[in-house]
Amino acid sequence: MGMIGGPSEGSGPLGASRASGGADRMAALNRLLRRAPDEEAQEAVGEEGMGGPVRWPGGFAMPVQIERILGFGRSFSFWPLLFGLSCCAIEMMALGGDRFDMSRFGMEAMRASPRQADGMIVAGWCSIKMAPRVVRLYEQIPDPKWVLAMGSCAISGNIWDTYNIVQGVDSLLPVDVYVPGCPPRPEALWQGLEMIRDRIKQSKHAYDGLRRIPAREAIEG
Amino acid sequence: MAINDALSSRMSALAAELSARLGAKVIEEARFRGELTCRVAAEDWVAVLETCKTAPELAFDQLDSLLGDHLPERGPAPFEVIAHLVSHAHGWRVRIKTALAEGQELDTVTQLWPSAGFDERETWEMYGIVFAGHPDLRRLLTVPDFEGFPQRKDFPIKGTVGGRIRTDLKGKI
Amino acid sequence: MRDWLSNATEKIERLERQLNMRPTHEPESAHQPEPAHDGEVSAGEHSGEHGSKHAGPAGGEKSRPTMEQLKERKARSRQRVENAGEIMTLSMGPQHPSMHGVYRAELDLDGEVIVAARPEIGNLHRGVEKLAEQLTYHQVIPLTDRLDYLSGFAMNHGYCEAVEKLMGLEVPARGRYIRTLASEMCRVANHILWLGVHIMDLGTQTFFCICFRDREYVLDLFEMLTGARLTHSFARIGGVAKDLPDDFGRRCREVIDFLPKRVAEYERIIKNNRIYYKRAKGVGIFTSEDCFAWRVTGPTLRSAGVARDLRKDEPYAAYAEVDFDVAVEYNADVYDRFLIRMKEIRESCKIIRQCLDNMPDGPFVAKDAAHTLPLKRDVMRDSAAMIQDFEQVFRGPRVPKGEVYVATEAPKGEMGVYVRSDGGPRPQRVHFATPSFYHAQAVPPLIEGEMISDVVAIFASIDVVLGDTDR
Repeated sequence: MGMIGGPSEGSGPLGASRASGGADRMAALNRLLRRAPDEEAQEAVGEEGMGGPVRWPGGFAMPVQIERILGFGRSFSFWPLLFGLSCCAIEMMALGGDRFDMSRFGMEAMRASPRQADGMIVAGWCSIKMAPRVVRLYEQIPDPKWVLAMGSCAISGNIWDTYNIVQGVDSLLPVDVYVPGCPPRPEALWQGLEMIRDRIKQSKHAYDGLRRIPAREAIEG
Repeated sequence: MAINDALSSRMSALAAELSARLGAKVIEEARFRGELTCRVAAEDWVAVLETCKTAPELAFDQLDSLLGDHLPERGPAPFEVIAHLVSHAHGWRVRIKTALAEGQELDTVTQLWPSAGFDERETWEMYGIVFAGHPDLRRLLTVPDFEGFPQRKDFPIKGTVGGRIRTDLKGKI
Repeated sequence: MRDWLSNATEKIERLERQLNMRPTHEPESAHQPEPAHDGEVSAGEHSGEHGSKHAGPAGGEKSRPTMEQLKERKARSRQRVENAGEIMTLSMGPQHPSMHGVYRAELDLDGEVIVAARPEIGNLHRGVEKLAEQLTYHQVIPLTDRLDYLSGFAMNHGYCEAVEKLMGLEVPARGRYIRTLASEMCRVANHILWLGVHIMDLGTQTFFCICFRDREYVLDLFEMLTGARLTHSFARIGGVAKDLPDDFGRRCREVIDFLPKRVAEYERIIKNNRIYYKRAKGVGIFTSEDCFAWRVTGPTLRSAGVARDLRKDEPYAAYAEVDFDVAVEYNADVYDRFLIRMKEIRESCKIIRQCLDNMPDGPFVAKDAAHTLPLKRDVMRDSAAMIQDFEQVFRGPRVPKGEVYVATEAPKGEMGVYVRSDGGPRPQRVHFATPSFYHAQAVPPLIEGEMISDVVAIFASIDVVLGDTDR
């Protein structure tokens, strides 16, 4: 399958499968799968990606070690928004089921209300009717938040290259991790969630340091 | 599915009943793969369907689906509305269709079968065929201010015509 | 413990009667705490064959209500609509905790009673029918998978039946049996998930986990057979894609020996559960006249007393050659739809066992150079097969001009596929008359007059999935 864990973190359930394949191919795939952070985000946050104090509006700056501790704590209870659109939602529910139990990783509390959620797993295709609602739900999730685009439909629209489907939910929201598949197996989704947890530990977001809310003008009106 | 003798005899019985009830209203009849298709004029649409529903010999009590079609190569009447009826009492099916010109209206059958409500809304939305007398003829599956009728053959399949998908912002957010 | 519980419930009932708090849709025979259908299920061992003894309703002849009784029960719960006071409009929006997908309904509420409901669908509209016009007949099969994604193969099957009827193509016996087997596995998977989601909507999380665990066994079988858990794309025009794997018979028999026992356990837990009984009995009555008028089919129609099952009435694939009963109930409420779906799981296990026992030998896909895809192992060896593959993939099959409409019994209801051809390799028009489309439309007549807390139970019982609705 297409999901391969990064070289530095081997804690996913498919860690053993990294033994196959060349290292440079894995690195290339890794670069493809991990979303490159914004240039502005890099400047705002710092050279190392995480180093440097986190500056909040009002002049308050928090040293990086506290952010690291907070990130470590946050990563063990990432509660995503219950937002399944279509077939990938069934695999997401299977991840919450008994065999691929995500509650052993602290994630079983999928929140129904965006105000109580830590992030969003966009599972399924997004139509232009649903797009403003997706953006509104994303905006309603309080900071810090992460987005995982699950399935080919959320990444690029899949085979639905039609008049009514947004060709990739990253036209609407900043996406942290993309999990390809149609639908991705629950284990593949779990690998994507592991990558999200890595980013949570490092407090790396897909939106920049100024917490810019993504384009409302992507949906006119 | 092979067409056996019982099926074709039932089809003949159904065809006989239909011609007895509807008579000259059936402009054209076709039999293909064990299915009976009757073409009627647009003016007789409601009368024919009402007869199909209320006549006890026909007793078509369920409208299985009502759909539209666009055949631009058929010049004067490019649109078509097709209704599939099923009778639980007798256990037979029929297809009734009618040809429409551009801009021609058709009477609604929601008073006979309420399930036609969504069907007619979708047909209007996709083809632009107006159903006169429909209680709530507005967009069903696309956004309410969508421009164009998507399933017409001259409407492009890919996006940004009539919809608002900003592909130029991909990856920049 | 049991005595304490029954005493407690009697006390509560007495208090309810004193305070005039008795819900109006309580059936007449509710004095005993146990529901009337208790005799059918024995605790513990219960094999699939027991279900066949009860060909009719579980309650027996005397508890079969007439149409007038059903209408009167419905009218009792719907009375409240006329005295509507101040209306509050609530948008049961596209994102809500019930797991049915992005269905939106605008509810006009008078207190807790629903005065009017306006459904809004289309949040998942992809334009499958228009997209199918751009693709060849073979390429449409993966699109159909994603219609009712809980039972992907059943959608493939319905579409392939329609195209084969249009072409006049005969599927070989083994192909028909494999299709029947896979369709019934889809039915089992769909109904198990339906149960989990339905009971979760009513408040528990346990059944969600239980049902997903049992569904995983069926998905394992699908993965063994088709390669995918959810979106199978297994049917091909003329048959199926691959033959049964070697170990499939043994694994499948293990699962279908195990599942009826699980179904018996679900029934034992849920049928005797007072909360479920109160929330489901007499709730959401939809008589057979309503069902015909609103084109509601499948288990909902069968719960209203109509023994209509397209597998029996208009048999396709191998359904004429297997023996099974049609699950019918007569009270037309949520409780009966639950009973019907549990019985359908047992009957499906029976059908699968018969298919495995009587599986004929021979090809699993028709060999027809103008219409079907050849086997991949022949393509690399035989030049005729290579040419056939090239033709079918790059040009498409040869289909005569004409139109067909084929209805099959999908797990959620009757799915009708209309295919019209103008002689080319791509369909001129494809229409899927999916069950969820009409069930979504039937929500207002079902819930107007009911309490808002019943909406979740009713909406879950008619089994709507938005991919099926919006196409």
